[in-house]
Parts: sequence; C-alpha cells; structure tokens
Amino acid sequence: MGSPFERLSLPAKVESVRLFHEFVRAGAEAVGLGSDDINKLDLVLEEILVNIARYAYKDGAGDVQVAYSVDAGSLLVEVTDQGPSFNPLDSAPPDLALGLADRPIGGLGVLLVRQIVGSLSYSRRDGQNTLSFRFPAPGPIST
Amino acid sequence: MKIEATQFEKAILLKVSGRMDAENAGEFDKACDLWISQGAKHLIADLADLQYVSSMGLRSFLAAAQKLKSLSGSLALCGLKGLPRQVFEMTKLDSLFPIYETAQQALAAL
Repeated sequence: MGSPFERLSLPAKVESVRLFHEFVRAGAEAVGLGSDDINKLDLVLEEILVNIARYAYKDGAGDVQVAYSVDAGSLLVEVTDQGPSFNPLDSAPPDLALGLADRPIGGLGVLLVRQIVGSLSYSRRDGQNTLSFRFPAPGPIST
Repeated sequence: MKIEATQFEKAILLKVSGRMDAENAGEFDKACDLWISQGAKHLIADLADLQYVSSMGLRSFLAAAQKLKSLSGSLALCGLKGLPRQVFEMTKLDSLFPIYETAQQALAAL
C-alpha cells in the first residue's frame, strides 16, 4: 500500500511543465532518486505533458493533473486530462531506420517514454484520459 | 539553456549548455537559422554541458541537420554524454549525425 496520492492541477500548457517538475521533486527525493533518474523522470513527464498541451484541448483551454504516490521504493505517477478520448500508446512507432533526409521531425516523445518507463497504462474513465506508470521502472530498463 | 556561438573558418561552433526543453528549444532553431541565413554551411553543436534534452530539442537538432544537408552542409555534435547521449541513442538519432568527442575533432574533420 503506497502513500496517499499528492495531486497538482495546472493549465495544460508548456509553461506548466517546469512547475510539475518541481511538484514531483519531493516524491523523487522521498524514494531516493539521484539526479540522473530525476532528469529521466522530468523527461517522461515533459513528453506526456507537452503532448497533452498540444493536442488535448481543441480550444486551448483545459487543465492537466499530475498525481504521485510513493510505493515500495518507487513512484506511481498518473497524468490525467479531460480532452477527447486519446491513447498515445496507440500511435504508430516512428521508423528509426530512415535516413536523415526522410526522418520525420517529431513522434519521438512517446518512444522515449516507453524506453524509459518500460510499461505504462492508459485508461479512459468518467470523461478523463489517464496515463500511469511506475518510476523507476522495475527491471533493467531504467538503469 | 545558454547558447554561445564561436565563428571558425569552416564552421560555427554552438556551445549549448543547461536544459533544452519544450519551452526553449526554439532558441536553438533561431540560432541555427540565423547562421544559415548568413551563409554558414557547417554547424557544430558542443553538448558537453547540456544536462537535459527532450524530444522538442531533438526536433530542433533534426530540423537544423536537414536544412544543412539540403545545402550540402552538416550539423555535427560533440561532447555528447549522460542523458542527452542516451536520448540520442534511444531514438537512433546518433546514427544520423556525425558525432565527435571534442569540438577540435569535429573541426578537424571538415
């Protein structure tokens, strides 16, 4: 049983990402993450939050919530928005074999998230999208 | 993030330090566009003091490299280490850029 979830809601904007980074810092320190792992956690959060900031709300206005709980030496993190149903995990992975001229600019955020956290889950409930993951990932992925 | 430019005979060296994220990656785009508009064909990004780069930063590196390639130029990287190196490796972008240990090596290769 982990600690109760700490929650913060802010406008879904790129400018909010740094505030969310500061918010999860207490949890990261509680589980003893070093600076390398904190940077990786920041990266995962940035990728998820920027995606939401750019795509979740057609009219540009809406909130996103980050929640975390300290559980068994790691963090359980949930990121929730109220945009239309959208599972970023369904998006096709970018073709990493393409050469420089043909490489699309973009589509790498979800790939980075998957590589760093290993597995993450998506749910749609009560009109909300929630992505959740454990950090550090169990196993060798987050070394 | 801080970007310091030094002009060499064959290339412009851009020393990028700090954190490159969604909020500030556009500054790198602007710096590259400025030098390209002034006729630079070869840029070298020294990333020895870059602590963090997200996919928005990767977009900027990729966009600049593609522009320079279309002008028969190049964007080389040097000093790549830590999380930025891992991010380039995870996305296989490390295979698309000339990568050197030091700026001197990158300059010597031109």
